[in-house]
Amino acid sequence: MIYDKPRFLPGGDRYLLVEFGDEMNLELNFMGQSLAQAVADNGIGGVIETAPCFASMLVHYEPEEISFRDLETELMGLVGALGPAEDIELDSRLFYFPAVYCDPWTKGAVDDYRAKIADKEPDPEFVARLNGLKDVDQFVRVHSGTEYWVASLGFWPGLPFMMALDPRCRLTAPKYNPPRTWTPKGTVGMGGASTCIYPVATPGGYQIFGRTPVPIWDTEKRFPQFETSICLFRPGDRVKFVPCDLDLYQHVEAQVADGSYQYNVVEYQKFSVRNYQAWVDELDAGARF
Amino acid sequence: MIEVVKQGLETSVQDWPGRLGYWNQGFPPSGPMDSWSFRLANVLVGNEPGAAGLECQYVGPTLKFRRGGVIAVTGADMQPKLDGTAIPMWESVAVTHGQTLELSFAKTGARGYIAVAGAVATEPWLGSRSTFHKAGVGGMDGHALQAGQVVPVGEGNGAVGRKIKDGAKPIIPADRRWSIEVVAGPNDDWIDAAGHRRFLNSDWKLSSKSDRTGFRLDGPDWTFTAKATNKAPEHGSEPSNIIDQGYPCGAINLAGQTPIILLNDGPSMGGFINPYTVPWGAFWKLGQSKPGDIFRFKTVSVEEAQALAHELREICSERSVVT
Amino acid sequence: MAEEVRTRTAGNMWKVLVKQGDQVSKGDPLFIMEVMKMEVPHEAPIDGTVTAVKVQEGQEGLDADVVAVVIE
Repeated sequence: MIYDKPRFLPGGDRYLLVEFGDEMNLELNFMGQSLAQAVADNGIGGVIETAPCFASMLVHYEPEEISFRDLETELMGLVGALGPAEDIELDSRLFYFPAVYCDPWTKGAVDDYRAKIADKEPDPEFVARLNGLKDVDQFVRVHSGTEYWVASLGFWPGLPFMMALDPRCRLTAPKYNPPRTWTPKGTVGMGGASTCIYPVATPGGYQIFGRTPVPIWDTEKRFPQFETSICLFRPGDRVKFVPCDLDLYQHVEAQVADGSYQYNVVEYQKFSVRNYQAWVDELDAGARF
Repeated sequence: MIEVVKQGLETSVQDWPGRLGYWNQGFPPSGPMDSWSFRLANVLVGNEPGAAGLECQYVGPTLKFRRGGVIAVTGADMQPKLDGTAIPMWESVAVTHGQTLELSFAKTGARGYIAVAGAVATEPWLGSRSTFHKAGVGGMDGHALQAGQVVPVGEGNGAVGRKIKDGAKPIIPADRRWSIEVVAGPNDDWIDAAGHRRFLNSDWKLSSKSDRTGFRLDGPDWTFTAKATNKAPEHGSEPSNIIDQGYPCGAINLAGQTPIILLNDGPSMGGFINPYTVPWGAFWKLGQSKPGDIFRFKTVSVEEAQALAHELREICSERSVVT
Repeated sequence: MAEEVRTRTAGNMWKVLVKQGDQVSKGDPLFIMEVMKMEVPHEAPIDGTVTAVKVQEGQEGLDADVVAVVIE
């Protein structure tokens, strides 16, 4: 459900959570990102930072400079001025990422979990079955068949949470319980309805089924994309996974190692919510690749 | 310049309020967990209260000074000794070139703090010198101190013999029981009345699976309202699952049935609810807690929580120094 | 002359490596504590016989400065 009016909830003494709704709906994320942009553009005194998420936006404020109530009032004003979601347009980069699906490294991590923590159905088969897909091949076609929208970053610095833009490629998957204690760097995984890429080897709970050799985190700033930050992504970026074989993976990995890798990123597009929704309306959302 | 002879358990450069402005990329604020002790140490040596200093966890470091200066040690009692002789805590002390400061293990509390006049002068990283050790960010080469490293220190003028007034220092309870302030929310409406009563009227034991990322608590079960059980499936299958949302630093994050207080190096977002949040003014209590300690939580309003932080700001100033 | 070996940190008793009656030499590992997933080993300060072991492997939430092992 998309709320008529957003809810403004306190988080301790210096955080405010704006909730736009309680469902996984890209429109809510567009609103969150748009509001974050409006806050940045309008400069509310006392706001330290904002962090948009799937259906919400967290605000970190300095109570010595603005009270919770005053902040709520300012935010309500900005929300009102935003207008309908259809009018939203956001700059949006598009990255093409080669990825090996059903790769040996994630299989190794899953096998390790099954041996040491709990048995489970291997992740690609599990996700394919849960989503009513014919087989793992179809899962790969469906998962890789869409651009993913970077809705937010977190859990670990630089870790993107992405939502499938093409409704025909929407999948869901439960999370591990208990979580894994490690995940290979560059793993592509899914939890709930979001897809993520693990920037480094961290613990994790997403179902895992692929790996990309392209760095999304670089403390040494070896590539121009990291000039202003060590993490590649910003909310509003898009990613298209391009299934590749192990040979191409290793080729790209070698290029990354010697610094010759060229990021394949498209940087002239603006994402139009109106155009996107018109396209979605024309699709047979239930069809699968 | 400070040479690290022994690194202790985990000693790191921190500043206050830490690394702010990068929450939307997932960078936590880091910074000292007990910012009360930390700031007072800085005040004693004449630094800005938030200047970069050292946080020493559980077992303190041994440091050799390559340059004379003024230091202060606060926080948990790690029995600081200069060249083998005990020095007072909560007081500014002169050190000369070649002297060695040895901090032992924390007899009470968990975290000790060392400030040096002139402040630690490592390279700031995204606006802060605070260390986020797990991700290799800030501090000394992105990590906690290692033996053999030399920590750079700025120029400073500290006066010796400055002391903190009694009554201006944080008190670590001898019985290992803490009363911790919490503000209800953001997701308090996911817990039913019985669940709230149980949370607020039970002892919660700090689990040993705890560190600067989060404090895991052992205690009774949580019970939920319809909001947690009648929700769109994309939230997740557990009652405590929610569509991924931003996490306040200090949130009591309910992972299944396990509450984890998200701390200075914690995650910025995730898919579990946060029924309560510990305000920043109470973090020092968490910073001095150790596994086995017992927490009792009491609710305060947003305004009362803000007053706690405001009061600490006032305390962490010249007004707490004996004249 | 009994020597009390005390815990040098708060934390968990990860491994207990001796039992009552064991002969130890100075420097032999007696027990290893764990805090924040880091190990804090504790060695025998003197040669002697372990006359008491007051902790158990797996014990959690121990305080610092608590007598763990006695050597005579």
